[in-house]
Amino acid sequence: MKRWFMLLLALVVLVAPILAQDAPPIKIGVAVAQTSNVALLGQEQVIGAQIAGDYFNERGGINGRPIELVFQDTAGDEAGAINAFQTLISEGVVGILGPTLSQQAFSADPIAEQAGVPIIAPSNTARGVPQIGWFISRISAPVAVVAPNAVQAALELDPNIKDVAVFFAQNDAFASSETQTFQSTVTDAGLNLATVQTFQTTDTDFSSQVTNALALNPQLAIISGLAADGGNLVRQLREFGYTGLIIGGNGLNTANIFPVCQALCDGIIIAQAYSYEADSEINQTFRTIYKEAQGKEPPQFSAQAFAGIQVFVEALTELDNTVGLASFDETSDPLGQLRHHLNAQILYGSYDTPLGAVSFLPTGEIVQEQFYVAQIKMNEDGQTGSFIFIR
Amino acid sequence: MIEFLTNFLSTYGFLIVSMTFSAMLALSLYLPLMTGQLSLASPGFYALGGYIAAWMSTELYPPLATGTTFPIPSLFVEMLIAAVACAILALLVGVPALRLRGIYLALATIAFVEVLRVLSLNLDVTGKAIGIFNIPQPFVTKIEYLYISLPMLIVCIIFMYRLERSRVGRAFRALREDELAATAMGINPTYYKVLAFMMGAILAGMVGAVSAHFLNTWNARQGTFDLSILVLAYVIIGGSRTFWGSIVGGMLLTALPEVLRAVAGIQGLPPFLTGFLTEGRLIIYGFLIALGTLFFPQGLITPEFLRRFARPPKASTPTKSKPLQTPST
Repeated sequence: MKRWFMLLLALVVLVAPILAQDAPPIKIGVAVAQTSNVALLGQEQVIGAQIAGDYFNERGGINGRPIELVFQDTAGDEAGAINAFQTLISEGVVGILGPTLSQQAFSADPIAEQAGVPIIAPSNTARGVPQIGWFISRISAPVAVVAPNAVQAALELDPNIKDVAVFFAQNDAFASSETQTFQSTVTDAGLNLATVQTFQTTDTDFSSQVTNALALNPQLAIISGLAADGGNLVRQLREFGYTGLIIGGNGLNTANIFPVCQALCDGIIIAQAYSYEADSEINQTFRTIYKEAQGKEPPQFSAQAFAGIQVFVEALTELDNTVGLASFDETSDPLGQLRHHLNAQILYGSYDTPLGAVSFLPTGEIVQEQFYVAQIKMNEDGQTGSFIFIR
Repeated sequence: MIEFLTNFLSTYGFLIVSMTFSAMLALSLYLPLMTGQLSLASPGFYALGGYIAAWMSTELYPPLATGTTFPIPSLFVEMLIAAVACAILALLVGVPALRLRGIYLALATIAFVEVLRVLSLNLDVTGKAIGIFNIPQPFVTKIEYLYISLPMLIVCIIFMYRLERSRVGRAFRALREDELAATAMGINPTYYKVLAFMMGAILAGMVGAVSAHFLNTWNARQGTFDLSILVLAYVIIGGSRTFWGSIVGGMLLTALPEVLRAVAGIQGLPPFLTGFLTEGRLIIYGFLIALGTLFFPQGLITPEFLRRFARPPKASTPTKSKPLQTPST
């Protein structure tokens, strides 16, 4: 008898929350790398998405119906991304924000495409990601669009640049694709690509590369690498007497290089897809919430994740306003229909996000109007510094 | 019920097939280990097999018409070529490398894996850093890969079962127990070591070829040193003295993180527990591995453990506590 009572109690506990809700929240999946060596990026995305979830729910969700973010960790590998996507899809999310890496996207996005679930990639910058399928779009501008802005900014700072030395980390996936963009930008701008020097992300001594490059007397150096090696390379360039401008790739786009090149970091130019200084209302709101919670300026990854959730919310709201989300319940496949129409709405709409005004091409590629360029300004102590937006 | 089953299969189809792949990868590392050689090279062959399949299916074969699936015979051709290529490479690498022993061989095979990774990062044919994507699919759903992987695994099990009881298998074991004594009895150590190494390489290459389709994409992040360590863990946790250990270890350790993910998703758990299970999923995973090695230092499956199933228990054999795992065929 007692056992039956316990069973009944358990049943009530399980069922009660389901019965209590009249309008169940709309589930949006977030599948990013919360663990593994990519977690530093993934965690910034989690924070951005969480801020967006709370912010839009406070403002009434989807016309009064709340949204619920469902997080699933993809870790850093392809199989993890597929597992996270599968779990979210069967949990009934209307769309997924993720995954963190482009390589993971190539693996997991076809699953979502087949299941007919809209995907917004918050940080996939490789060529070919939106082309995986109709349901795949991205809120992160591809590297080929962002990087050239740094070269333009350098030319504005010093119109006399003629010879350019390019350095890249041969063993890093992102650096070796980014350098291709830099190199073609340099030649397209009519500059002389004087030399291309390679190194490894594990290197600490760059004297041979620096000597080779400086013999050609370049006025601009472009570095694609990661924080530690890139910072060391900057330091050694300066120590060998290089006085021209330096452009850093996205791998150097972090305050973690300050301790490496210290005062010599000063003046590195880095292109940005996001500026916390952008004075739109939504960005300043986002910046304030982020700063209150984290005590620092929001990074690009958090802003992109926020923008991704915002696109989902605004597209859902628009869909509710035009056809009404309840109307899908009458169809034979409510969730499938909703996902399909949601994706069409995502591609159709335009959005005022912290990244600026964005919209999508029919392929799902982002159309972002504004890009930024920042220059590192080191403080007098030589240990701390900041990114000053110059463009 | 049927709805539950389809839902279960669509969610966990990928995982179930992954488990069979992991089991076979563990076997590919177990094979050289049978001769006492700690070789971590099999992820390298796995990567090579994957690249062969990825390249052939995207570049060599004519593009598929929309709505059609990749022909299965073509997949078999890829697997065959991957097997041949891995066998040749294993022969070339194995003969010099297997002169090394113990930790030195492990280091050499790590270097081999690393060489392949750097090569694939720099070659155009492997798609450099991005890799090869848009690999055509032979099946509509992931669970259907079981049509390929399950027969492969069963063949492997039968093969390993026969191998451990054959002349070659006994030679392997003799080399593992005492190489000097085995040589004195007329066993050619180089021949048998290279043979075991090649068998492991062939298996890893074939698994790689199917995996490339299975993962939709193939890049330099597949089959790296990380995987070497993971596969070694499959073998060590599962038990390195019988092939059942590799199979159970591979399946168990692949499933565990996803089982923990599912547990965290159960409705009605107190929020703090759900939170801990979601956030600390991999902490629990690591903790369970540590516990496993502490309480099963020989691995989960040992030959002594298996012997209990081989014969009906006699009255004289004391029946111990109930076994935790029953190996499944």
